[in-house]
Amino acid sequence: MNRKSPIITGIKSMLPIIPGVLPFGLIMGTAAHNAGLNIMEVTGMNFLMFAGAAQLVAVDLLTQNVETVVIVLTGCIINLRMMLYSASFAPLFKESNLLTKTFASYLLTDQAYATCLDLDERYNKRSDKVAFYLGSAFFMMVCWHISVILGMFFGNFAPKSLSLEFAIPLSFMALTIPTIKNRTYFYVVMISAVLSLFLYKLPYNLGLIISASIGVLCGAYLSSDKSVNTDRNSEVKDGL
Amino acid sequence: MVFDNFWVSVIFLGIGTFCIRASFIYMSSRLNISKRMREVLSFIPCAIFPALITPMVFFHQGQSHFFLQKERLFALFVASFISYKTKNILITIVCGLLLLFVFSIL
Repeated sequence: MNRKSPIITGIKSMLPIIPGVLPFGLIMGTAAHNAGLNIMEVTGMNFLMFAGAAQLVAVDLLTQNVETVVIVLTGCIINLRMMLYSASFAPLFKESNLLTKTFASYLLTDQAYATCLDLDERYNKRSDKVAFYLGSAFFMMVCWHISVILGMFFGNFAPKSLSLEFAIPLSFMALTIPTIKNRTYFYVVMISAVLSLFLYKLPYNLGLIISASIGVLCGAYLSSDKSVNTDRNSEVKDGL
Repeated sequence: MVFDNFWVSVIFLGIGTFCIRASFIYMSSRLNISKRMREVLSFIPCAIFPALITPMVFFHQGQSHFFLQKERLFALFVASFISYKTKNILITIVCGLLLLFVFSIL
C-alpha cells in the first residue's frame, strides 16, 4: 500500500494557507503584549478561545474597560459564522463518536473549514475525510500558537512592504472558487459580497453573518426554482 | 494582572465559542439531513467567504472611500482569474502578493 495517510494530506493542504495565518498571529501576539498581558494569559486565551478575530477584539475591549458581558457577547457574535461551518460539517460527523466530535468542534476554524471544501472529491470514505480534517485543523492550531507567541516576544516582524496579511483573503478566495459549480453558486457569491460591503458599518461584525445567511437563503431559493427550469430546458432540448 | 475581568471574560468566551462550533456537529447524529438540505448547506462556503474577504479587501485599514486606493481589490480580482485557471492555491497567493506589491509601488 502506497496510499498517503489522509492526516498527512490534511497537514499538507494547510501549508499554502500558513502565510496568511502567520501575520495574523503576530498581530495578535503584538496586541496582547501591548495590552500588558503576560505569557500565561495569552496562552490561556489561545487555548480557551482559539479564535483569532474574536481574541483581537476581546483584547481591544479589555483595554477599553468595557463590561464583561459586552466583551463576551461581542466575541460570540464575531464567532457566530462558525455555526454555519458546524452546520455544513454536520453530515460529515454524523457517525463519529463524542470524542471526535469534541475535537473536531474545538479545532473548527475558517482555515480548517476552507481546506475541506473539496473533501468529497478527495475521499469516498467518511473516516478518511474526518482524518484529513483533523490533520489540517490540528496543524492550523499549532501554527496559530507558534505565531502568537512569536508576536508576543518579537513583535510584528513580517516585512510591511510584502503585505503578507493579504494572503488571508487570497487563500480564502482560492479555496472558494472551485466550489462555484454553476451559475446559482456564482449568484450567491455576488449577493453576499455586495451585501457585506453595504452592511460593513453594522456593529459587532454583524454584517458578515447577515450577508452570509442571506446568501445561503438566496441560494436555497434559486436552487428550488432551478429544478423547474431545468425540466423546462430539457423539454426545449428534446423539442429541438 | 492588568485586567480584573480577564479570566472571567476569556472563560465565558471560550465556552460560548465552543458551543457555537459544536452546535450542529453535536446534533448531527440526531438530525436527518435530506438531499435537499445538503444542497442548501453546499451554498455556505460561497456565501460566507465572499462576505468575509470583500470588506477586508475593499475597506482595507479603515479606508471607507469607495474608489480611492483599491489596489487590493484589483490584485484580488486578477488573482481570482489566476486561481480559476491554475486551480493552485500557492500560485494564486504568490501571484496575488506580487500583484499587490507591483500595484502599490506604481
